Amino acid sequence: MLVLVQVHDLFKEVEGMKKIMVLVLSVSLAFLGIGAELTFYYVPHTGASDPFWAVQKLGWETACRLLGVKGIFVAPTVFSIEEQVNMLESAIAAHPDGIATTISSDTAFDAPLTRARELGIPVIAVNIEDYTPPYVPYIAYIGQDEFIVGEVLAKRVLSEFTPKRAVIGIHQPGLTCLELRAEGILRVFRDRGIPIEKIDVTPYPTQAVEIMKAYLARYPDTEVIFTLGPLGAHAAIDLVKEQGLEGKVRLATCDVSPQILDAIRDNLMICAIAQQPFMQGFLAAVWLYLYVEYGFLPPAKMPTGPTVIDKSNLGLAEKQVQTTGGL
Amino acid sequence: MKAFVKTDVLKVGQRHFPSIGILVSLAIIMIIFGIITPKFFKLDTLAGILTITAELAVVCVPMALLLISGELDLSVGSNFAFAGVLGALLLNRQVNGLLTLVAVILFGILIGIINGLLTTKLRLPSFIVTLGSMFTLRGLLLVVTGGFPISFRGQNVLLWLLNGKLIGEIRMSFIWLVFVVVCFHFILNKTRHGNWSLGCGGNADVAQALGIPVSRVKLFNFLLVGAMAAFGGMLSFARFGMAYPTLGEGMELEAIASAVLGGCALTGGFGTIFGASLGALLIASLRVGLVLVGAPAYWYRAFIGIILIIGIVINKEVMRRLVGGGQ
Repeated sequence: MLVLVQVHDLFKEVEGMKKIMVLVLSVSLAFLGIGAELTFYYVPHTGASDPFWAVQKLGWETACRLLGVKGIFVAPTVFSIEEQVNMLESAIAAHPDGIATTISSDTAFDAPLTRARELGIPVIAVNIEDYTPPYVPYIAYIGQDEFIVGEVLAKRVLSEFTPKRAVIGIHQPGLTCLELRAEGILRVFRDRGIPIEKIDVTPYPTQAVEIMKAYLARYPDTEVIFTLGPLGAHAAIDLVKEQGLEGKVRLATCDVSPQILDAIRDNLMICAIAQQPFMQGFLAAVWLYLYVEYGFLPPAKMPTGPTVIDKSNLGLAEKQVQTTGGL
Repeated sequence: MKAFVKTDVLKVGQRHFPSIGILVSLAIIMIIFGIITPKFFKLDTLAGILTITAELAVVCVPMALLLISGELDLSVGSNFAFAGVLGALLLNRQVNGLLTLVAVILFGILIGIINGLLTTKLRLPSFIVTLGSMFTLRGLLLVVTGGFPISFRGQNVLLWLLNGKLIGEIRMSFIWLVFVVVCFHFILNKTRHGNWSLGCGGNADVAQALGIPVSRVKLFNFLLVGAMAAFGGMLSFARFGMAYPTLGEGMELEAIASAVLGGCALTGGFGTIFGASLGALLIASLRVGLVLVGAPAYWYRAFIGIILIIGIVINKEVMRRLVGGGQ
């Protein structure tokens, strides 16, 4: 009996010592900064209200969860450079371990990102890079060259047939990445002497359909409608279906959604350019982690596109849409 | 004597047709578009204009009644989007079409009641209250959808009843437009509530002193705006079978602009339902007309702004001459 009591006391002592040891270890680790949760911010120019950015957000959050870091995604509800810069400055003030952002303006990011560099916060540009010197200080760019996206899209359409006329429906005029895509398309078509112009279709589906319809009424020889994202593409698909324009007006777009894949399958759409937004958000977190935790130096540019999605690779594209929500 | 007769005739005209100002503006703009391109008066074009008008008018018409009673609602755009998403979610869960519509409108009514109670009972400015609910609803919308559009791919007679094709390019939304305008015209001009709304907006203290239940009148108008914004959202969803979290952004300003263009005083106490609906028609005509006449793409928004100002100037000038007579 006495032995039992002694064993019990010994156990209690060991338990108590274990607790103290754990406490001491935790305090030491915290003091050394080892095991503390890393915090990364992602501050793009628009937020999850755009399906494309919802996929980016999902990629970012998935990577942060897998890496065990705190990933904070903050973005303006609708495209706003001013709001984005304000949010970026707030993120810098929080002094996180790393920041990912989109360079949605040539000039607005110089001051905040210079300050981030002075504070030792690594910044990765995602989706939109800085196109004009002097370049904003960031350690790497993950995404695609938007001008090339436009060129690739236009050339893929021209490999199918030579239209008499084409139009580009832009749903957010003034947004650098969309403007560059449009410029790429315009360059290829104008070089071939095919009439083409941009129209502001707005992000509202009813207005977009009626605006495109009015354009077709003015220029009935229009054979291709380019759109620069799902908001415009969905409206263009509805227009072609509603007006029975299948085979008369062909579509081509940037970025992918389930509706866009259906349109490719149904021959309404020639192709779509994918830049794999899930991968952009995902890789941003991964590269910040590799940089901060292990000192890896990322390559200056890490392309995630442009990838042409057409009937030939529809199956694989569908898998990505099913698993990530977009492509 | 001649001047007297002219003034007298105009005053009679104004009394019987107070929307003459906006009608003149609309006629001038439509004639200009018609002269530049005869395609403007084609049936298909007019049907497209009416389709845009319908979605805007079902929101701006009740907004006009609310403005007349001295309040405004900035949450209509968010309510509009939430309604579409809610409708899509319910239909995807096999909820009966009619029940879905009722549930969506009840949700809109709830938003209207919350806005109304906060404004009237706590005596808060409706601008702030509805700005708050605008952000809250938009945020909730992102939480519910995760930023992705919600689509409904099934068939439902409700969708056709709301916004299916009626004859040619004319849609069912045109019928709803007429119905809503007639109902609200009746409410404003033939009911005690309409008269009280004018009284509340003219001078709320005097109205209260005269025994008009000011809070109840305003609350009911908020309720109507909430219900109709939700109905408008269902109209948009019904056409595309898809509800976007971005839907309706900026609609609050277009709705207020339409009502003011139509002669509603921002300070309350004056305005007409017919005028507000003509204001919506003017905005829709500009959207389509500028594309048809081949206005440079990026000038659209500037043109719309300029023409809106000109429209208001014409409207005010016509009204001044009518109301002021020989002044």
